[in-house]
Amino acid sequence: MELRKTTVHRVAEAVLEGEITAHQLIDKTLKNCSVLNEGLNIFNAVAGVDATEQARAIDEKIKQGGELPLAGIPITVKDDLCYGVLPTSFGSSAFSEFISPVTAAVVESLMEAGAVVIGKTNLDDMGQGSTTLTSPGGATANPWQAERTAGSAGAAAVATGICMLAVESDSGGALRQGASHCGVAGLRPTTGRVSRHGLNAHCSSFARVGITAFSCENISGVLDIISGFDERDAATAVCWKGIPEIIKTPGSEDITIGYPVTAFDFLQPELREVFEQARDDFAGLGYKIKNIDLGLLREGLQAYYIIALAEASSNHARFDGIRFGKTGEADNLENMYFQSRAEILGKEARRRSIFGTFLLSKGNYGRYYRQALKIWELIRQEFAGVLKECDLLMLPTAKNLPRQLKGEVSFLDEWSDDFFCAPVSLSGMPALTIPAGQVNRIPVGMQLVGPPFSEKTLLAVGSTSGPRDTGTL
Amino acid sequence: MDSAAVGLEKAIEAIKIGVSDPERDQLHRELDQFLGWLEPALEVDTGDLEGLVFSHEAINVLREDTPRQSDLAELQEAAPNFTGGFYLVPKIME
Repeated sequence: MELRKTTVHRVAEAVLEGEITAHQLIDKTLKNCSVLNEGLNIFNAVAGVDATEQARAIDEKIKQGGELPLAGIPITVKDDLCYGVLPTSFGSSAFSEFISPVTAAVVESLMEAGAVVIGKTNLDDMGQGSTTLTSPGGATANPWQAERTAGSAGAAAVATGICMLAVESDSGGALRQGASHCGVAGLRPTTGRVSRHGLNAHCSSFARVGITAFSCENISGVLDIISGFDERDAATAVCWKGIPEIIKTPGSEDITIGYPVTAFDFLQPELREVFEQARDDFAGLGYKIKNIDLGLLREGLQAYYIIALAEASSNHARFDGIRFGKTGEADNLENMYFQSRAEILGKEARRRSIFGTFLLSKGNYGRYYRQALKIWELIRQEFAGVLKECDLLMLPTAKNLPRQLKGEVSFLDEWSDDFFCAPVSLSGMPALTIPAGQVNRIPVGMQLVGPPFSEKTLLAVGSTSGPRDTGTL
Repeated sequence: MDSAAVGLEKAIEAIKIGVSDPERDQLHRELDQFLGWLEPALEVDTGDLEGLVFSHEAINVLREDTPRQSDLAELQEAAPNFTGGFYLVPKIME
């Protein structure tokens, strides 16, 4: 059973009907894992014995009549999400052996439905980045072109067929850009739809937990399982009395897709051609295309970085060698803090925390931080206004093709890769990345962005757009 | 030192992150680049607009106030050093 060529529903059905046991499926998955992962550096930890035990427990539950919609489905978990069995590093070598006492809410929900965690996936320094280039364990290579980054290790795991679902965080666009670079689908849900309990968020305002999968159908199969109110995450209170879904069905209803004409001017010609073709394909499928204007993308990216860095400086304060992290060797308390924090935070996390403190300091707070909060509101209004004129809008996901693993890239160039993703994060709207095409055999993805709680519409529209020509690995 | 450079030094001191001299020099150069990069955002006319504070709708969720049992043993096991009924941490009083 090749996981890339089937669906979550079909695999779970096979396990429930006894065509294959969960134990056999996971055993085979783990064997494939070492082969498919070779040279890619996807995993920080592989479950091994634990995954086998999970699978045996699922087979036992099935014998006892348990209803498990995700029976035996192999999943990976990004290493900034806690899983109480494997180490959770948060992207810091100081936590490489840390076993969390909690398991992230999303992981709990998927496991209760029968999914099996097969490993924790690589990430940037303290989860800050969209490339894995700042990971203390080295970057994850792209399965399509190994000299480039995968963007996210979970997307690489899905693209290679190691797992069927990857649970990942997304603040400025890591999940979405990973999906784009690896030619798979990735959903960043509406603010408050999915619990973030168990996520080490560097940026609380924008961090979300989403799913990457080979197809929109596979994401649809788990959306309800991971959605809903969780008293451990106050943002999910919006779901307390039920989720106010916006569901439109392609084919039976008119659906208008907004096309932000000037946004595509920021792209290189070969990338722009991919999106123009995707727009024309949508029109060919019967969707109405409406030209719209999003004029604050660049400023939205900058506002995102002001707020994200400010929040990182605060959120990372707990990594001081006393409350969290290894205690550094020093002759007095003050030096111990400096030493511990220098060891816990990598170079990227140090840069972000220091700049964030600078932005929050007297004299800079009003000039930078307060202005960023106002731009945040402008962005929210701009996206809300556009989504009154159309049902959803399409945007590029990544500004560039994935970065080369070797070669210098400035920190500002790397941050600018979030050009199309970070403003969407500010908007609070859900965003689905789906394959749009290829440039030089490298996948290129596009985002479909809709109003709050329109994920089912996005997934339905995303399903009709494929399979696009992303070729085969 | 200009005001940004002074501010950076204060930020490093306030946040208590050890940096080497070469990294410190690099941070000074990068801060200048970063502040230049942010200029377009500062030029946006935001008028009297109130800044956003929460990205989500704040809703007060009510529940019954009932006692719940915490799994203390699990937390104690997760602590780096739990001995004699105490969580042992590095010395913080001098």
